[in-house]
Amino acid sequence: MPQDAERDEGVAPNAVFAAQGAGVATLRLTGAWRLASIERIVAQLEALQWPEKFAIDGSELTEIDSAGALALLNYVDAHSRSQPQLTGFEPNELRIVEQVRARLDAARTPTEHHRERMLEGIGRRTIEVGHSVLGHVNLLGAAVIGIGHSILHPHTVRMRELTAQFEQVCLNAIPVVALVTLLIGVVIAYLLGLQAEQFGANIFVVDGVGIGATREFAPIIVAVIVAGRSGAAFTAQLGSMRLTEETDAIRTLGLSPLDVLVLPRVIALMIAMPLLVFVGDVMSLVGAMLIAQPMLDITPTTFVARLRDTLDISHPLVGLAKAPVFALVIAVIGCRMGMSVERDTRAVGMATTSTVVQSIVSVILLDAAFAVFFQEIGV
Amino acid sequence: MRERSETIVEVDSIVTRFGEQTVHDGVSFKLQRGTLTALIGGSGTGKSVLLREIIGLQRPTGGRIRLLGTDVWQDSEEKLNAMRRRFGMMFQDGALFSSMTVSQNVAVPLVEHARVPPALLDPLIKLRLAQAGLGADAAEKMPSELSGGMRKRAAIARALALEPEVLFLDEPTSGLDPTTARTFDKLVRSLVDDLGITVFLATHDLDTLLTVVDRIIVLGAGKVLADGSIEEILSVDNEWIQSYFSVRTMVDRHGESVS
Repeated sequence: MPQDAERDEGVAPNAVFAAQGAGVATLRLTGAWRLASIERIVAQLEALQWPEKFAIDGSELTEIDSAGALALLNYVDAHSRSQPQLTGFEPNELRIVEQVRARLDAARTPTEHHRERMLEGIGRRTIEVGHSVLGHVNLLGAAVIGIGHSILHPHTVRMRELTAQFEQVCLNAIPVVALVTLLIGVVIAYLLGLQAEQFGANIFVVDGVGIGATREFAPIIVAVIVAGRSGAAFTAQLGSMRLTEETDAIRTLGLSPLDVLVLPRVIALMIAMPLLVFVGDVMSLVGAMLIAQPMLDITPTTFVARLRDTLDISHPLVGLAKAPVFALVIAVIGCRMGMSVERDTRAVGMATTSTVVQSIVSVILLDAAFAVFFQEIGV
Repeated sequence: MRERSETIVEVDSIVTRFGEQTVHDGVSFKLQRGTLTALIGGSGTGKSVLLREIIGLQRPTGGRIRLLGTDVWQDSEEKLNAMRRRFGMMFQDGALFSSMTVSQNVAVPLVEHARVPPALLDPLIKLRLAQAGLGADAAEKMPSELSGGMRKRAAIARALALEPEVLFLDEPTSGLDPTTARTFDKLVRSLVDDLGITVFLATHDLDTLLTVVDRIIVLGAGKVLADGSIEEILSVDNEWIQSYFSVRTMVDRHGESVS
């Protein structure tokens, strides 16, 4: 489409000095001085030999826009002390040039960049992290008190919100939890089986999978899924409610965001998580059972019988006991990040990311603490 | 002078339906170069929808739209992209990219679509900000740090970046205090008078309509109810138009004058 290209570029811009008789040179501008050909304009101006004194003739100019005028005035001012006379410009072209001249000071104000020094950055971040952790602990305390209150006065629990949240965080999470833990069961059994086969110790795979899956893997995997699914959702929901001032509306209506928004989510997740871990336990054992027969010649009947003989009930119980604690931490981080988000769309996205990272790190740290704790009390 | 067509926008019997609901039922008008035209109409008459259809964001159910000689819903994507550099759009809440500073926002179209030499880029950004009435101190701020009026100015600066031939503004003065709104009106007028840009705006602001606009197009019941200068619109015998402008006549009776 040559016609369009020409429309876009216009007649090529040019600037040449035409020597005049009376010692005053004239800078003759021709063509279209538009932003589309700004590169050529600057190159033309750059290549000129500027005399002491000159006038500017715009009679052959087809048009000029403010970007073209800016480039022109930049070069003119750099090479001439006085304002050169402008001749032959159309009135509308002159208006554009004058409009740009009036704003030259603003255009030339240099920007002051504040660059943060490393030490300053470390200090600022440390303080931010400190504030953030304090806020989390604060909400954790409030949530625990709220849960206590809810247990003592069950009629104050907002059942409608609680059930809605429960459906979201528990029922809707079952398929993904089941699928992932099933595959984890398969993988653990396969890896253990590779080793055990060499010693003819096939049957011990059942012991290993039983303990590993129910005590550690299922709770951790479920917690990671829940952090990514529900923790992130809490932050996004509460964060966007803050953007639209819904949380402020809740406050002005005399309600507490803690009761209306936070507690139903925390309680729902604390109930949901042990159930999800149970699903995870069962599915990972099923996964192990599925691969045990073709790989290790352990029939499902043998598998179940062996499990009943060797898997102490304390292992699944330890796993299930960790679940509500993980849930409390994930829910509190998710809610708190959402409630404290700045009123700015970008902040919601960053807070959501941060929730997932914080939740997963916290869960793994807690799990390590639990391992030490249960070791000490001998469970 | 470069040959330029005088009709910038041609809206031809546009029909828009959302399910059962008919928003536009044959809307037609043309916009001439160098004019400042306002689109008014009650809530739900599809002002924003029509703007979005003109600039190619939303497909109308029927009808044809030509913008700067390009058929917005028929021509090739390549042709549309070339055309997109020749108009600017200011969305109602600014739609500034929230992860960038104001000057980075203005730089986006300049860097993407114009080969501006590096030495000229910063002065050009500052010029755009000044043309939109923003000081250099606003340049390094994030959009979230700006007041409503400043955000709209920053949005105008970004829309002006490539020095478009036509500028679309969606509710440019909504949410602004009256003083700021009036300076905004002057700014828009100066874009038309000084830079020769054609401006088409959707508004509810009576003062904008009465003071700076050349022509008003009234949308209602899916059609163009009236089209013309303010005097012509005021003389149209239509209930909605009469009640819309009667608010102002009531104020006038108390001694204020229409300028």
